Amino acid sequence: MSIAMHAIKMPPGHHYDEMLIPSSTNEISTREHYRNYFQWLNSSPEQTLTQRRAQADLLFRRIGITFTVYGEEGGTERLIPSDVIPRVITADEWDYLERGLTQRVHAINCFLADIYHDQKILKANLIPSEQILGNAQFQTKMIGVNVPHNVYVSITGVDIVRNNDGKYYVLEDNLRVPSGVSYMLMNRKMMMRLFPELFLQQSVRPVEHYPSLLLQTLREASTIDNPTVALLTPGRYNSAYFEHTFLAQQMGIELVEGQDLFVKDDYVYMRTTTGPQRVDVMYRRLDDVFLDPLAFRPDSALGVPGLFEAYRKGNIVICNAIGTGVADDKSIYPYVPEMIKFYLGEEPILNNVPTYQCRKPDELSYVLANLKDLVVKEVHGAGGYGMLVGPASTESERETFAAVVKANPSNYIAQPTLALSSCPCFVDAGIAPRHIDLRPFVLTGREVRMVPGGLTRVALKEGSLVVNSSQGGGTKDTWVLGA
Amino acid sequence: MLSRVASHLYWMSRYLERAENMARILDVTQSIAMLDPSADSGGAMTPIVITETAEEFAATGLPATYANVVAFLAWDRFHPSSIRNCIESTRENARAVRGSITSEMWENINDTWIAFQETARNTDPLMTGNDFFEWVKERSHLFRGVTFATARRDQPYHFTRLGTFLERADNTARILNVKYAQEAPDDFQERSDDQADYYRLSAVLRSVSALEAYRDTYRDTIEARRVAEIMIFDAKLPRSLRFCMDETTTVLDLLPKDSGRIPRRIASEINARLRYGTVDEVLSYGLKRYIADFLHDMMRLGEAVNTSFMDGR
Repeated sequence: MSIAMHAIKMPPGHHYDEMLIPSSTNEISTREHYRNYFQWLNSSPEQTLTQRRAQADLLFRRIGITFTVYGEEGGTERLIPSDVIPRVITADEWDYLERGLTQRVHAINCFLADIYHDQKILKANLIPSEQILGNAQFQTKMIGVNVPHNVYVSITGVDIVRNNDGKYYVLEDNLRVPSGVSYMLMNRKMMMRLFPELFLQQSVRPVEHYPSLLLQTLREASTIDNPTVALLTPGRYNSAYFEHTFLAQQMGIELVEGQDLFVKDDYVYMRTTTGPQRVDVMYRRLDDVFLDPLAFRPDSALGVPGLFEAYRKGNIVICNAIGTGVADDKSIYPYVPEMIKFYLGEEPILNNVPTYQCRKPDELSYVLANLKDLVVKEVHGAGGYGMLVGPASTESERETFAAVVKANPSNYIAQPTLALSSCPCFVDAGIAPRHIDLRPFVLTGREVRMVPGGLTRVALKEGSLVVNSSQGGGTKDTWVLGA
Repeated sequence: MLSRVASHLYWMSRYLERAENMARILDVTQSIAMLDPSADSGGAMTPIVITETAEEFAATGLPATYANVVAFLAWDRFHPSSIRNCIESTRENARAVRGSITSEMWENINDTWIAFQETARNTDPLMTGNDFFEWVKERSHLFRGVTFATARRDQPYHFTRLGTFLERADNTARILNVKYAQEAPDDFQERSDDQADYYRLSAVLRSVSALEAYRDTYRDTIEARRVAEIMIFDAKLPRSLRFCMDETTTVLDLLPKDSGRIPRRIASEINARLRYGTVDEVLSYGLKRYIADFLHDMMRLGEAVNTSFMDGR
């Protein structure tokens, strides 16, 4: 098929592109599942994308879909750029991802219940005990605490990438307070508003029911009938505040801050205009250490004094549970396939990225010798901070980073640089490939549920592999096609 | 409903109403100044007196010209009730509870804020004109309209209205106090033939959108006594004290009865004096004293609203 209207910049030959298949001739061919979209693109005048992108920007700004960037003066509100070209996933591929995610999250929940109780996996010597017990994310206070239905992780945002071998790899399991689902929902809303004709042309599986699945999951986390659920936010200066307000509103639950709550006789109450009201389930968007100044960081003004004691006694459910961070720590990540075999007796469906643990001397020397080809990350890092992308680094950056790693090797892991598949994006220069990842959101209540797809993040800088919104990343709508 | 949410909604609408009132006061001051540009600077200071910000203004060290007063009250970043800060505070409060208001309400406030920043970048504070005041009033009207047309009539709506009417009553009383009680002669003699007085009084009426209402009601020349009567006692004029307190008592009756007992009692007491009072009683008691009492009662009411609904104990 030839290009009629739009100049499309082809990805370099060694990249896997989600839409385009590179060829030696000038002919551009697209993958089967992008046929419909591509036809539409070619039959639309060039201005269409420009006009509708301008409309989208205006709507996003007006609606105030923003996030706050740290480190700038007073926390600046910014829009996350939303690309107008969708990322399309076939029904078969999604089916595979869904099975793999269900298995993975199930195993992680078993792991968390185990390490806070019997520690069978440590006794079986599958993971060195000091890796868990000495881990900063391991909450000793949680040992022996019973969590309803043994669901520690109710909400997971698993980061998945596709490498140039065409296979998906799990990059990390975000088990604490994963965010981004509101952008997934807003992207869809915007695309349906801007390009209704595309949704009439082919079947795109819906995602709009995510808030109702989330509410169902949160309610199932409680053992009582008709529990009162609230969403705990650090407040409007938090980077994900828009998402907190959005989800609370969509679920019809109260959005509370620490100051709205108090604990009396080991029960948790909200301060309301009609007096105190009990809270049974709390969807918290606040890290463990800030939850309760009596149990964790004493200087936290964001939490609720006495909350942990109420939690320990089973008088409130906190989602995700306290202490889940130990399982998404990058030093524990390499063991997830072992967990799947150990707890479920199954072979892992999804691939892990091969990971070098710098705490092991031989792996450390390999890492230091091959910094140029590796991505080195802090084990507790998040948001794209504190990492080195080898191929994109300068020699002096590598030297500086090597010194930092040597000073504290156990704080780092390294992985081969994945090529990260690309997808055409509508950028200032026209339609050009940009690297992307995928964050599906996995909900665990009485059963595991998810909406098809997830959030596709885009590294908007040409050639960049960093998709984090705090580092100039954008997002695009993710379409899982009907079977 | 969360106490904190009630508080944000209440302050959201109070700040927007305050921005509107500030625009009204400055607009009227400007039109009076245009009548006689050679007059002394006393008139220019009126908005400062009304808003009780003499000390803050003196701290800027600027001469008391009309342009400086407007720049201060409209744009000053350090004056908490400048129009700029009122709009900032309105939007901040709305953002804190954007899940509790309709998306149309939020988008309207956010739009106002975005446009205001644009205006702020392109405006010389010393050249602020009538079009800016009109714009502020219009944005405030729009927000009330959006609220009226989209909000469910439940607690968030009631707290939003409560903020509007408490702020408005306070403002009308302050305008009366300064433009009228303090500047009027002590013995309160009618001087309806005095031309300057005519402009002064009609400006007061215009600042609370009451000039047309006055003509419709009295079909006569503008007299000081009637201006006081319409601004205090008129049951149909949306910015009169009586109207504001009718609305306030109505709203309070719709809020949770148990926690709202004390504010309901205070509001009903204030309202009873407005329902069953007359302007002659007010004048013989002394308008200044009457307004001082009213403002004091309003302060008590504000405190009671805060303790009853927003402390959450």
